[in-house]
Amino acid sequence: MRSRSPALYLLALFPLAFLLVVMVAPAARLVAEGWTPAGGVDTGAGAHAGLFTVWQDPYLRWRMAWSFLQAAATCVAALAIGLPVAWVLARFEFAGRAWVLRFLMLPFVVPTLVAALGVLALLGPHGLLVQSGGADLQGTPWLLLYGNLFFNLCLVVRAGTDALGQVSASRLAAARTLGATPWRAFWRIEWPTVAPWMMSALCLVFLYCFAGFGLAMVLGGAGYATAEVEIYTLVAHELQLRQAAVLSLWMLLLTSLVALAYAAIERRLAAPGRSDGVARHRPGTVGQWAAVVGALLALVCFCAAPLMAIAWRAMFSGAFGWAFMAGVMTDEDTLLALWNTARFTALSLVLATALGLAHALAAQRSLALRALVFLPFVVSPVMVAFGLLLLYPRWSGSFWLLVCAYALLAYPFVAKAVASSLDSMPQNYLFAARTLGASPWRAFRRVTLPLLMPSLRRGMAFAAATAVGEFAVSLFLSRPEWVTVTTLIYRYLGRPGAANLDAALLLACVLLVFTMLVFAVIEWPGQKERHA
Amino acid sequence: MLEVQHVCKTWVSPQGEARALLVDASLRVAAGQTVAILGPSGSGKSTLLKIIAGLEAVDSGAVLFDGQPITHVPPEQRHFALMFQDFALFPHLNVQDNVAFGLVEQGVRKSAAREQAHAMLQRFGMQAFGTSRVWLLSGGEQQRVALARALITRPRVLLLDEPFSALDADLRVQLREEFKTHMATAAMAVLWVTHDETEARAVGGSGLRLFQGRFERVW
Repeated sequence: MRSRSPALYLLALFPLAFLLVVMVAPAARLVAEGWTPAGGVDTGAGAHAGLFTVWQDPYLRWRMAWSFLQAAATCVAALAIGLPVAWVLARFEFAGRAWVLRFLMLPFVVPTLVAALGVLALLGPHGLLVQSGGADLQGTPWLLLYGNLFFNLCLVVRAGTDALGQVSASRLAAARTLGATPWRAFWRIEWPTVAPWMMSALCLVFLYCFAGFGLAMVLGGAGYATAEVEIYTLVAHELQLRQAAVLSLWMLLLTSLVALAYAAIERRLAAPGRSDGVARHRPGTVGQWAAVVGALLALVCFCAAPLMAIAWRAMFSGAFGWAFMAGVMTDEDTLLALWNTARFTALSLVLATALGLAHALAAQRSLALRALVFLPFVVSPVMVAFGLLLLYPRWSGSFWLLVCAYALLAYPFVAKAVASSLDSMPQNYLFAARTLGASPWRAFRRVTLPLLMPSLRRGMAFAAATAVGEFAVSLFLSRPEWVTVTTLIYRYLGRPGAANLDAALLLACVLLVFTMLVFAVIEWPGQKERHA
Repeated sequence: MLEVQHVCKTWVSPQGEARALLVDASLRVAAGQTVAILGPSGSGKSTLLKIIAGLEAVDSGAVLFDGQPITHVPPEQRHFALMFQDFALFPHLNVQDNVAFGLVEQGVRKSAAREQAHAMLQRFGMQAFGTSRVWLLSGGEQQRVALARALITRPRVLLLDEPFSALDADLRVQLREEFKTHMATAAMAVLWVTHDETEARAVGGSGLRLFQGRFERVW
């Protein structure tokens, strides 16, 4: 029973073949395109000098440097703000704490373009900050850095809160009785425990920001766009495929290095956690209450404000007028975008669920297969789409290629959620079913699958949120008639006039409502499911 | 008659270290007989039960029932029942459906299986809990449900893995007596593992100790 059955190997073939065709082969084609000298002729030594044009061209060098800088700056800021917030959430008990922890999931399901619009509504030309007498931050790097923090601060806070829960109360008490002040105890006992968790979270933050596309496209402008935006521009507007491929090659190299660091740290974190966690207590002093208020204010400023700003702007602009709403929502483009988003999401969700389930089941007790789940996180959506364009030029306008690309980005969420659930499921359930007369298939259908349902639903909710908010692949691979809600928002943003901005805001609100529904599915499991 | 003949089993750790759990281990349990297997944690007692149930493969040796080799028969075709230390009650099913699980797998219609499950729960004094969720039951109640689930299909062999270890001392004595009563009427081969010799003697039958992979008769 403990050895891997041939059925599991067969099951693994499905996601492996999919990864090979939709990700590995296109990435290899991308590498080949960047590696091969211009014109495809290898002229011997120095033929690969073109590889280094990225570093010789001041413009491209700045793009790469800025991509690195903004990602590194976000990591530093997320750690500086996130760790104190996490400490407050891990150590103090106060009314609404559980809600705050739930809220930390929200940015994970908010589409990139909605977040970008939120940042603009807050800090952009007609944003709340300008209207309250502040500076217009458009054209500065702050917009992008703030947008990065919106998405990533919650990740760091969640990782920090979990990590601080692993700190041994007895070790901390021992340190205090041996004369350590609270600060020294934090530095010598708590920090060494949480550091690997924070490093792991920061690797992810770096990956997301370094290979970020949507936020940088909308918020970076001409001066602060990242290398991913440059790749898109080179491919879609300048048809400089070779230069784009060289840039992609360097991006792939750097993201792979960070992903390797992430995998190495995650392996260290696989050890079981301690059980004597530090008990939370109610804040007792003014200083402790100030810390709680400060942490909540930080979360409101960086994680809630953009979403509230969208609602505020939509409310006080013309976007929520009945006539305007009816006009936008019944517009031919909007209906087409809604239909396309719905069908792309539905089809990719079916495929992603099948792939995710198969991958998670096949990856039981196989570290190598499990590691492959992270591959789609390493290669950015821009590179996936560009690789697909290069490898399958005839299918560049293919409906199924687009659905497959969507599914590729969505299925790791299903696979990860189901794999975690399988890990925590006692093997005795399956054994009990087998000894009670159930065949392997019946045991799967009657015991394993029902017990996996809550995590499967969570994974599917994340996958659906990914598909609905997908932007980069849609820009690369879709035809004009395959406009989605996100690409339509982008189209509206590119047009002048207040009415276009209002239409974008209205559509962003539609996506936001969907996001809230997904969030509810993820964060409010029933009592039965919680126990299961 | 259940027979284990010259079974060898080596456990290999994820780091590749091998440790012999069963070395030429043999035993026999006749219908109506209760045999306790004693031994410290990690001595291979649970592995032995899993081998007999068909959940673990042997390295060498054979398992027979009524003279027929069943070493390679899948667990669902052996008609044995295994009760786990943690009871392994399915959390997504209520008490009645947990008990009815094995009957449904034998092809009994769900409604009929539920009726039989209700009758079985009555025998254990648990009829009021039929629609309860299993996680709402106390340890003793869960133990009764697990035993009812194991017995309802009238298995040829009942295998029990530390059945009383999850219970407190008072409840353990009470359920041990209930267990003896049920076993007296069941007339099946019963093999159970425990590390508590006093408890094993209290249940009765015969006792074997698993020592360095082989069985030694204790009483």
